Amino acid sequence: MVRGLDGDGAAQNALLSALAPLMRGFFARRMRGAGDDVEDLVQETLIAIHTRRASYDRNRPFTAWAYAVARYKMIDHFRRSRNHVPFEDLEEILVAEGFQDAASAKMDVNVLLGGISPKQARAIRQTRIDGLSIAEAAESAGISEADVKVSVHRGLKALAEKLKGK
Amino acid sequence: MQTNDLIAALAADTRRISPRAAQQRLVVGLGLGMATAAALTIGSFGMRPDLPGALTSTQLWMKAAYTASLAVIAVLAMLHVARPEAGPTRLSWLLLIPVAVLASMSAMELMTTPGEMWMPMWLGGSWRQCSIRVVFLAVPIFAALIWSFRQFAPTNLRRAGAAAGLAAGACSATVYGLHCGEVSATFVLTWYSLGIVAATGIGALIGPRLLRW
Repeated sequence: MVRGLDGDGAAQNALLSALAPLMRGFFARRMRGAGDDVEDLVQETLIAIHTRRASYDRNRPFTAWAYAVARYKMIDHFRRSRNHVPFEDLEEILVAEGFQDAASAKMDVNVLLGGISPKQARAIRQTRIDGLSIAEAAESAGISEADVKVSVHRGLKALAEKLKGK
Repeated sequence: MQTNDLIAALAADTRRISPRAAQQRLVVGLGLGMATAAALTIGSFGMRPDLPGALTSTQLWMKAAYTASLAVIAVLAMLHVARPEAGPTRLSWLLLIPVAVLASMSAMELMTTPGEMWMPMWLGGSWRQCSIRVVFLAVPIFAALIWSFRQFAPTNLRRAGAAAGLAAGACSATVYGLHCGEVSATFVLTWYSLGIVAATGIGALIGPRLLRW
C-alpha cells in the first residue's frame, strides 16, 4: 500500500489483486451467495480503496482501513436495496424461522416435564399446553377433577423448584 | 467489466499521494473557502472602518481566539472522521474549553457593568444580522470542505457533516470579525455561537446526502 501511495503502479496492481479475493470472501460470507452483488461490491470497494487512498494514514494498520471501506460499501448496498429479501419467499422464511424457535421451545418443555412425575406431567400438559379443561383432563386420565388440580399445582411447584435450582 | 481489468485500469492511474495528503487537501479547501468568505464580507458588508486601529484591541483578539480555537478543534475532528475506521471521538468535549473561557469573560463583563446596560451590551448594534451572516459566510467554506472530503472515506456521514459544519461556522465567524465591530464577550458568546451552532446543525442534516460515496 505504501509503495502504491508513493506512485508505484505495479505495487498498486499487486495490492488490489491481493485484496480482490479477500473482499470477495468478506462479502460472500455476509451476503449468502448473490454472486453478482458480491462482484459489484468487490469492484466498488476496490475503486474506493484506490480513489480514496489519501484517507489512509500510513502509521495505522492497513487491513482495518480496507475492511472499514468494505463494511461501509456493504451497509450502503443494503441501504440502497432495502427490499433485499424477495417478497414471495418472505412467508417461507418467516415460517422456517418461527419453526426453529417453536421446536426448541417444545424440546425445553419436554425436558422439564420429563423431570417430574408422569401423572403431574400429563396433567400439566393437558390443561396448560393442549388447552383441555380440568373436567376433560380428569376424564381422559380416569382420575377425579380434584386430583388433576392438585397434580397441576404440585407439578408446577416442582418445576419452579427445579428451575430455581438450576 | 471484469475485476482484473478494473484493477489494471485503476493501477494504471497511480499518482503519488503524499503522506500528509489529507491534511493538505483540507487546508486547501479551508483556504479557498475562507478566501471566498473574506471576499464576500468585504464586498457585501465592508470592512469595519476602524480596523487598523482595532488590531491592538483585546476584544478583537478575544473574538478571533474564540472562533479560531473552535475551528481548530473542528478541523482535528474532521481529520478524525475522514478515516473510515475511525470510532467515536472525545474531541467534542474540547469545545467546552473556549466556550467556558468566553463564558467566564462574559460573566466578569456583566458583573462590572450596571444592570441597565446589560441589554444594549447583549444585543449590540447588529444582533439581528450577526448569526445569519455567520451562517451565510459559512456556505462557501462548507462547500469547499465537502470538496475536500471527496478524497476521504468518512463512514459516519452525520458526524462528518457536523464536523464540516462546525469548521465552516467557526471559520466564517472568524472572517466575519473583519466586519463586525461588536466588542462585548456576551454578544459574541450568544450571537456568534448561535450562528456556529446553526451551521453545525445544518452540516449534520445535509452531510449524509452530500458525503455519500
